[in-house]
Amino acid sequence: MDEEVLTTLKILIIGESGVGKSSILVRFTEDNFDPDQTLTIGVDFKTKKLSVDGNTVKLAIWDTAGQERFRTLTPSYYREAQGAILVYDVTNYSTFAKLETWLSELETYSTKPNIVKMIVGNKIDKENREVNRDEAMKFARRHQTLYIEASAKTRDGVQCAFEELVHKIIQTPGLWESFALNGNVHVDNKDHPSDSSSCYCSLV
Amino acid sequence: MEYELPTEFDIIIIGTGVIESIISAAASRIGKRVLHIDSNNYYGGLWASFNLDAIHKLSANTEVLDPPTDLINPDETTFALGNDFFSLKNFKTDWHIPKAETQPENENVEEKNETESEEKPEKPITQDSLIKDGRKFNIDLAPKLQFARGEFVELLISSNIARYSEYRSVSRVLTWLNGQLETVPCSRSDVFANNKVTVIEKRMLMKLFMALDSGDQEYLNYDNKTFRAFLTDKKLTPSLIHYVLYAISMSTDETLCLQGIQNTKRFLDSLGRFGKTPFLFSMYGSGEITQAFCRLSAVFGGIYALSQPLSSLIFDNENNFKGLICGKQRISAEFLVMGAEKAPPEFIKSPPRSFIARAVFITDRSIMSSEKEHLTLLLYPPEGGKNSCVIIELGTLTGTCPKDLYLVHLISQQVASPEDDFKHCVENLFSKFEDDKKPKILWSCFFSIPDSNALDLKTGVPGNVVLCPGPDLDLDYDDAVKKAKAIFSDLYPDTEFLPRAPDPEDIIIEGDTEDRNDEDEVVLKPEENTDKVAESETEAKSDNDQEVPKSENEHEE
Repeated sequence: MDEEVLTTLKILIIGESGVGKSSILVRFTEDNFDPDQTLTIGVDFKTKKLSVDGNTVKLAIWDTAGQERFRTLTPSYYREAQGAILVYDVTNYSTFAKLETWLSELETYSTKPNIVKMIVGNKIDKENREVNRDEAMKFARRHQTLYIEASAKTRDGVQCAFEELVHKIIQTPGLWESFALNGNVHVDNKDHPSDSSSCYCSLV
Repeated sequence: MEYELPTEFDIIIIGTGVIESIISAAASRIGKRVLHIDSNNYYGGLWASFNLDAIHKLSANTEVLDPPTDLINPDETTFALGNDFFSLKNFKTDWHIPKAETQPENENVEEKNETESEEKPEKPITQDSLIKDGRKFNIDLAPKLQFARGEFVELLISSNIARYSEYRSVSRVLTWLNGQLETVPCSRSDVFANNKVTVIEKRMLMKLFMALDSGDQEYLNYDNKTFRAFLTDKKLTPSLIHYVLYAISMSTDETLCLQGIQNTKRFLDSLGRFGKTPFLFSMYGSGEITQAFCRLSAVFGGIYALSQPLSSLIFDNENNFKGLICGKQRISAEFLVMGAEKAPPEFIKSPPRSFIARAVFITDRSIMSSEKEHLTLLLYPPEGGKNSCVIIELGTLTGTCPKDLYLVHLISQQVASPEDDFKHCVENLFSKFEDDKKPKILWSCFFSIPDSNALDLKTGVPGNVVLCPGPDLDLDYDDAVKKAKAIFSDLYPDTEFLPRAPDPEDIIIEGDTEDRNDEDEVVLKPEENTDKVAESETEAKSDNDQEVPKSENEHEE
């Protein structure tokens, strides 16, 4: 239980509406699947610990909160993310075609130039496939991203997608062991004076 | 457009400025169906941040679109959206460095080595090199600092919106005194470290603050007198009066005593919470803050649409707002809230009379160099008929500019024009010559923001429509929070304003915390350690039992 957490990684899940982003998130973090999920409401981000190659990391996986529908994800959503999962629906070609736009969105807003990208073809449990594996793999290779096919419904590939992504992130030097942002303040109820006697009032 | 917007909402909010975004989050939070829409392709409106490329493309055009008439009933009237009163004025950017690197000449390099103490011969900074790094800039139109115990920070905490943004504490407060920069003593250690303040002065200062802190009511005798008169009667020395009047209380010679006392108390109250000074700056710029509220609104179901072809508003014959025309859609709602700059000109009874003068510089070094990078607030006193200026200098650790450069914001109440109003500051603080110790301005940007805060934004505006003012001259967002709160309780009386959002998981995202050594960074240590213990306990549990706290209407897609 006391395994040391190496670091916390911010992972984004992006892609067109309805491709199953939240389903993948929920399958991975809670091992649940709800076929009636319609639109993402109330999901912010979820965390889960994952051990890869003997290292335990904590993932904070951010959902789009529906802001992908009109392509209005805020630049702050993308900030400091070390990994991105780009999801398309293998039974809907247009969601695959849109990956190009999502990649350029990532390119525009990522603050980490070496962010690790993983393309996930979801819904492989369905029969009416429109995107074949070869084409998707070629696309992934061309854009230097990882690639996997998955089904949030049957669990296929979901765990693996996250493991592969984390594996690559940990292997990428300078991506997660960054100290540049030290000294930032998380605003909360507690006091964090940098100097215990920094208050005028404490002086007699 | 790939997806059509739904056409029925409880409230439509046009514009993504701070006040609009807070209202959006608050309405969405209590379950209202919110459409938050903007014709701009960016968040923040007049409160936005831009990278170097985007700020050059910023133009103050107000496009008026003709609505499709088939969406309007015969007994309805329409007003075209958008006015020119509140758009940015006097916008001007200039480069003060060559476009590209000139052929390297040996002479040049030698000269540089002699005059500068840097170890490595640096590449000259050019327009091209800055543009290449352009995305690392986050240039605020309305830069703000937050009081550590101000309303805004309290709202971030109480609403749990704090998790969407990170802050850095201002590490020093400076003022301009007797022709040079001086550090304003903010903390006990500052007071003692300050060799410009004599021992007697140190005692005087402490006595004054102790008196204010213990609720000394002596100032009540200064009903109609100035704060300066009060400080003078306290027998403070001229330098101390300067520190307290112009820096700590951010007052002028005319500020009344009570106001000055309140300002001073506010400053003192916010000390000792985060870092060495009372102030926080949001990482990546103040423009992040509107995005944090928008994110919360979206998480609770608010629908977001930017770059929208908004043309006009529809009203019935009793002058009630009925709907909005966006492209070929008619979208209706009970209420309409919008930024003043988005309003039809017919709704604006009086054009703005005052303006916020703004300048932004990219510089090659800090105004007061030191070993570690500082986040500096310089309170420049009124001088020679010029108003006081707030100057904020940001380094790369704030996420607003590339390494080894600084972003300097100047803010003042406009008298003549931004360039004229800041002329004296520029002459005193910056240099035109390479070999000077002062920072050199590499790029400059000047503009004016019309101040809509003192204006009547209610008269002549239909009952179910609210106009929100744009940026104010305040250093912080506290007044904006108050205004948003007031508008929200007018719209939805007896409902809670931004109750605490449930924690998906208690988590703090950030890098390794071990490597902290500079003083600013002590900030979080005690709290982080305790949190880590707590986290791993709950975490272990949820890993096994899949017991993740449920928030309302969770996980759908």
